[in-house]
Amino acid sequence: MISDTIKNEIRGIVGDEWFLDSPEDLITYSYDGFLPEFMPDAVIVPGDRDEIASVMKVANRERINIIPRAAGTNICGSSVARKGGIILAFHRLNRIIEIDPESRCAVVQPGVVNAELQKAVAAYGLMYPPDPASMFVSTIGGNVALNAGGPRGVKYGVTRDYLLGLEVVLPSGEIIRTGGKTLKNVSGYDLTRLMCGSEGTLGIFTEIILRLVPLSPAKATLQAIYADLDDAATTVSAIIGAGIVPTTLELIDRTVLDVISNYGDAQFSDKAQALLLIEVDGEDILVEAQGKRIEAFCKERGAFQVERASTPEEADRLWQARRTAFGAVASLRPNCIVEDATVPVKMLPAMIRKIVEIAEKYHIQIGVLAHAGDGNLHPLFMTDLRDKEEMERVDKALVELVEAAIAMGGTLSGEHGIGIAKDRFMSMEFSQTSIDLMRGIKKVFDPNNILNPGSFL
Amino acid sequence: MILNEIANEFDQCIKCGLCLATCPVGKTLFLEKYTPRGKVQLAKRYAAGDLEISEHYRDIFAKCLLCGACTVTCPSGVDQKTVFLAMREEIVKKQGLHPNVEAAVTSLLVNHNISDEDNSERGDWRDDIRDLPEHMYEKERADVVYFVGCVASFFPMVQSIPRNMVRILQLASVDFAILAGEEWCCGFPLIGAGAPGEMKALMDHNLEKVKALGAREVAFSCPSCYRTWKEHYPTDLKLSHSTQVIERLIKEGPISLGELRETVTYHDPCDLGRNAGVFDAPREILRSIPGLTFVELASNRNQSICCGGGGNLEMADAALSGRIAQNKIEEVRQTGADIVVTACQQCVRTIKGKVRREKLDLDVVDITDMVVRSISHG
Ligand SMILES: Cc1cc2nc3c(=O)[nH]c(=O)nc-3n(C[C@H](O)[C@H](O)[C@H](O)COP(=O)(O)OP(=O)(O)OC[C@H]3O[C@@H](n4cnc5c(N)ncnc54)[C@H](O)[C@@H]3O)c2cc1C
Ligand code: SF4
Ligand code: SF4
Repeated sequence: MISDTIKNEIRGIVGDEWFLDSPEDLITYSYDGFLPEFMPDAVIVPGDRDEIASVMKVANRERINIIPRAAGTNICGSSVARKGGIILAFHRLNRIIEIDPESRCAVVQPGVVNAELQKAVAAYGLMYPPDPASMFVSTIGGNVALNAGGPRGVKYGVTRDYLLGLEVVLPSGEIIRTGGKTLKNVSGYDLTRLMCGSEGTLGIFTEIILRLVPLSPAKATLQAIYADLDDAATTVSAIIGAGIVPTTLELIDRTVLDVISNYGDAQFSDKAQALLLIEVDGEDILVEAQGKRIEAFCKERGAFQVERASTPEEADRLWQARRTAFGAVASLRPNCIVEDATVPVKMLPAMIRKIVEIAEKYHIQIGVLAHAGDGNLHPLFMTDLRDKEEMERVDKALVELVEAAIAMGGTLSGEHGIGIAKDRFMSMEFSQTSIDLMRGIKKVFDPNNILNPGSFL
Repeated sequence: MILNEIANEFDQCIKCGLCLATCPVGKTLFLEKYTPRGKVQLAKRYAAGDLEISEHYRDIFAKCLLCGACTVTCPSGVDQKTVFLAMREEIVKKQGLHPNVEAAVTSLLVNHNISDEDNSERGDWRDDIRDLPEHMYEKERADVVYFVGCVASFFPMVQSIPRNMVRILQLASVDFAILAGEEWCCGFPLIGAGAPGEMKALMDHNLEKVKALGAREVAFSCPSCYRTWKEHYPTDLKLSHSTQVIERLIKEGPISLGELRETVTYHDPCDLGRNAGVFDAPREILRSIPGLTFVELASNRNQSICCGGGGNLEMADAALSGRIAQNKIEEVRQTGADIVVTACQQCVRTIKGKVRREKLDLDVVDITDMVVRSISHG
């Protein structure tokens, strides 16, 4: 509990209107996209960096937990008040400060929504590549804190690859700047990258400098359907092995195709076991040639149906299945747990087979969506939290799935983060020495453990 | 409790937050409680007994346009609007009507319309019509009943709509009538006010009057009347929106359109487009006007953004409604069009009201205005 005196001190900093502690406000900041919910003691919506710094000084002095929260779309439970405290929301820090086409970078406040930035830079013929499926809602601050990726990641990489610099308020209330507008920078330790993916545990970003790239003039979109999952998987390695770098390489498995056929907008043949959605972008001529080569690869490797879009409308239609997949699966049962285990690309077919095996073993429905081009799987567990018995089976299945991914040289999370969704698995991937090192880093930044405590460490 | 019946709606919410992307209220007020996800969770927690209905709680649910943008965005198939309506009903049961809406509802139940006027004045919009036929469109029998709706009947800013409609129907020799003082409010405002139980008398009356004329079709210029009849009135009469009637009349030939050299854009009213599925008729009409250049808004059809006039928001929070209207005006500006056409008197009032208050230079018209302008140039 936070005393009224302290509440009033913080209220004085952010202003009455932006200090919230009604039951309605506390409830609506008690959740994010993950399952467990925790009531915070208060919610603040500061208007600038200096207010944040002042609040942190009070919080550090009084040992009050502060939990940064942006759009609350993360699905690892990393923006909830697990140990009580104050939610710090970034709604008002939503300004694009500068788009600098000459230096090809943008400076933004953390609350800017990803898609708003995409739109703004497109007007300059530029692109900000990371495109998480939550891009119309999730913020740049949240993207940086979780190092978000997206379908374009195969070619363009993830948030980390576009992060040039930060302004950060530390738990002590001190303000630092890391990196800058230069594309190259090797001075000192790379604090910028340390912050990226830190899940709101090391510092609060108040300004973010991002690298931009030119918008591609052309793209080709293809869809290939296979009667055998392995054929789809070998196509993936064939494309990558041939030196073609697709922008996007998505895989949808049989279970998800069935759900889409039954509840979604598209119909698929009974013999369809896997679908690949492939996109390349770049200069016109190159894209045309690569499109044709990929089409040939798919056919040679057993796709019984290959479509190549020749208009933006057709491309849109080919994306339809992928776009509606998550929704179709999510609406089937009350809850849907989105797994995020990631394996080396060549282990993809083995991992998918393992998932099918686990689903059968524990009698649960698991569909697989995968950013196949970078080995990032999203097994979708269709379940009902209220069903205790089923949840026990789900839990066992999750453990087995994570173990398998690690055994294949993979990782717990490709892009969704650890939070409280996977903190218990950390020791599977990291040695005690590594975990101690991370805890040490956390202590240097936040000796009193007030910033987003109870997270993965 | 009503909420038990819809519990599976909020149980279906996976808290993904995707609905935040399209909610005009959430995007304007920022705070999670005003977003669709926030309200679905508040409904859930109320149903679970974790929360009492307070004034604050009521205010949150009143700050919603019932526009349905969240419903088409939700990947998990949550029908948020149903949740929000049930919640408004529950709030009325526990706390009575919203203070800003109470007077309107009370007067509606007495006068059978949403203005303060006596319902016998419902047909006064006819006063300015030159060569008004002797029957003044009130007949013993008619093929089609034109159901004018309260707003277009009583608010001078949009009374051109019924005048246009009767002119178009007359030109096309459609055998139609209006109910004038015997037309009662369709009941739509009661749904938004959380008092749908009071609708029955209104529905019974309207249905009886329409049947007495031996009509086979009812035509509406108000999308909300149209939708309310479609969803709530127990009838198999043909129900058409004005845009559908006019599209038909253009195709079949009885009205011919003259050239208009203008650039227009079209705003899909929530209750006509997203909530009733009529997207093409208005576009077909605009495309058949010779010389007209038609450009789409950035967010159109299913993705159309509410003008700010939905869900009784104007009564609950006029300033918020105005801010949302301002965003609409900016979206219109982006198209470069000189005229924004819509097909709803409430959208016209909301957008035009803002244009006038801000002294902006933008023509806001109902589609029947466009059609009549075009006919006059024929
Ligand atoms: C339908 C759906 C699809 C998704 N698709 C993808 C996808 O394709 N790829 C992907 O990578 N993720 C995806 N996600 C997960 C999620 O959208 C991302 O992790 C996103 O980056 C979270 O951003 P947010 O603004 O919602 O942040 P939040 O969820 O509010 O917060 C996320 C983390 O960031 C911290 N944080 C937020 N702002 C700051 C700040 N200014 N300073 C310091 N810390 C901060 C919080 O403490 C928290 O730890 C998806 C989620 C959903 C629901
Ligand atoms: S109905 Fe419209 S205003 Fe209401 S929550 Fe949904 S999107 Fe927002
Ligand atoms: S989009 Fe649907 S499932 Fe997602 S938060 Fe909104 S209501 Fe819930």
